[in-house]
Amino acid sequence: MYRRKKNFNTIIRYLLATAGAVLMIFPFLFMVSNAFKANVYVIEYPPKLIPDNPSIENFISAWTSNNFQLYFLNSALVALVATVGTVLFAAFTAYAFARFEFKGKEILFGLMLIVLMIPDMISIIPRFYLARSLDLRNSLWGLILFYIASGITGNTFFLRGFFESLPKELEEAMTIDGANPFEIFFRLAIPLSKPALATVGIFSFLGNWDEYVWALTIIDKPAKRTLPIAIYSFQGQHGTEWGLVFAAMIIALIPVLIIFISLQRYFAGGITSGAFKG
Amino acid sequence: MKKRSYLFVALSAIIALSMLLAACSPTAPSVSEQEPQQPTQSNDSSLSSVEEAETPVTISFWHAYNADVEAVYLEETLIPEFEAANPDVKVESVLVPYDQFRRKLLIALSGGTAPDLARVDIIWVPELADQGALANLEEVIPDFATYSEQFLPGPLSTNLYNGKHYGLPLDTNTRVMVYNKDMFAAAGIEKAPETMAEFLNACEKIKTLGDDKYCFADGGTYAWAVNPWIWSFGGDVTDESISTSSGVFNGANTVAAYQFLKDNIDNGYMHPGMLGGGVDSWGGFGTDQIAMLLEGPWFPPLFGGQFPDKEYGMALMPAGDGSSVSVVGGEDIVMFQQSDKKDAATKFMKYLLSEETQLKLVSVGQMPVLKSAVESDTIKNHEFFGIFLEQLTTAKARTPHPRWSKIEEIMTNTGSAILNGEVSVKAGLDDAVSQIDPLLPLE
Repeated sequence: MYRRKKNFNTIIRYLLATAGAVLMIFPFLFMVSNAFKANVYVIEYPPKLIPDNPSIENFISAWTSNNFQLYFLNSALVALVATVGTVLFAAFTAYAFARFEFKGKEILFGLMLIVLMIPDMISIIPRFYLARSLDLRNSLWGLILFYIASGITGNTFFLRGFFESLPKELEEAMTIDGANPFEIFFRLAIPLSKPALATVGIFSFLGNWDEYVWALTIIDKPAKRTLPIAIYSFQGQHGTEWGLVFAAMIIALIPVLIIFISLQRYFAGGITSGAFKG
Repeated sequence: MKKRSYLFVALSAIIALSMLLAACSPTAPSVSEQEPQQPTQSNDSSLSSVEEAETPVTISFWHAYNADVEAVYLEETLIPEFEAANPDVKVESVLVPYDQFRRKLLIALSGGTAPDLARVDIIWVPELADQGALANLEEVIPDFATYSEQFLPGPLSTNLYNGKHYGLPLDTNTRVMVYNKDMFAAAGIEKAPETMAEFLNACEKIKTLGDDKYCFADGGTYAWAVNPWIWSFGGDVTDESISTSSGVFNGANTVAAYQFLKDNIDNGYMHPGMLGGGVDSWGGFGTDQIAMLLEGPWFPPLFGGQFPDKEYGMALMPAGDGSSVSVVGGEDIVMFQQSDKKDAATKFMKYLLSEETQLKLVSVGQMPVLKSAVESDTIKNHEFFGIFLEQLTTAKARTPHPRWSKIEEIMTNTGSAILNGEVSVKAGLDDAVSQIDPLLPLE
């Protein structure tokens, strides 16, 4: 009886998981399939998941279209530098909040939380003014610095909690051995926090790689544009070549997949080892 | 230890303060107070990929040309040709997606970093002129009175604000009825409907083809979609002097137009995508789900690229009590007050408006705005511009008013509430009038 109930539960669980997976993966499959269709068939009804005459035409024309490769490179540069910067500075700040006692600490932390609650759109004009007066318009640094600045707050909040959960005894042991706070930070806190840092890294990269509104706002020079703007530009005012849009999206997805897969073992290792058998 | 924690306090304070300051800066001063734009050169040597020579003047031109056909033609044919003829001027083409164009432009204006020239939707000109963003071309071009005579009067008038011209027309268009020949044949309809009665008749026949077949589809209840019906029924949004909408937008003719649309939705003649949410109307048209659409001159080249073998016909908007009236669309070219390179910008503007360039742009579906171009053999013998030019003789422009975006938002919401049956036609329009009327007077 108990066994049967357990089997039944397992079946339900598999069914739910399958349903969830199908729901999540269908739009993705639809995108992949459309990217391989010639434009005529993209909007066919009923939709077909497996194209009749698959072709990589869309990928070739997206990849070779106006400056697409340059935009790809710009995006990669911006996202990588901004992600490294975000993780580094957020970790510094979070560690300070987690481990040091100083006057006004909680007030400062509160201020950061308040900043977190201000929607981006509200401050877009002031930020634009700032970028202009710092001469950061039409420059990739204008994207990098602002991405780092806006990434620090949320990630500091996240990492502070993680650093506080690390056993204090280890740090005390290192202090007794004569290590200074920088050594403790780089040799102990950072290595122990790989899962948290990987999470922060993945989400920062994803956010920086995808960011559209700010990039569109401060970049006028075509040579300094990033990928989201290029993809958006494939959508015309009156008509859109959807095959091209989908193909461009898939190309844009590849770096995200690479980052995710390479960092995955740090932050999802525990979960995946039990989830997939053999 | 103590010393270091001060360092952290200082660092954290700087980070927190800089972000707080960024969030609390004073609001943008009005555009007209801004100094002319200083040419700023980005100085990021490590990341820079293009270095420009300083000698020729570089002007920037923002536009929302479609990326795969029109923008390519501009950047690879027209601009090189212009630069070869004018070695002292370089043109930087900046494609800004249409949806974000207005916002990006307004932010750039408030920051004093507007482009020199822009190709803007005709409905944005009054708003931009009202803000003091645009250069009065009557001052920039000394012989403006004679120069402007060569343009078609309708498109030229979209640049008027307070009696002055703040732009020149660049291309024009309107919507005509395209009909699906296969579906018309299957339903036994012999010719395109010329009146509203014939339109209903055709819809009845289309419906016999199946429940999932629609007579007509459009993307929503915004003015671009709804106004042809309002005007053709003899209604309008405001009176001619744009002083009131009372008795006009809720007058008998406009009520009849919305009632007509509502009945068509309720009968299943018009695709429910019009209620909001939109519809892939080209896909539906190409796969025989939808029999008629209102489309502009971009339709033949772009739709033809997606469905090369689909046969369709084109006809005028069906006539109602107000005869057959469609909506004027198109783009104007404007120069910004902030530009400090107005002479170079004028050169490029005049190049784009020359008869030769206007006729070249025909190849990418742009309808010319010059009287001489319209009279030319290229246009007279053009395979589909004829019907659009005929429709343009009666087509109307959307209300030229600086608060048009707000007025249109009210129209869109009202239309969607009426078609969804949330409010009766008359009550909905009365309510809309009470919202639109206070917006109309200008101080």
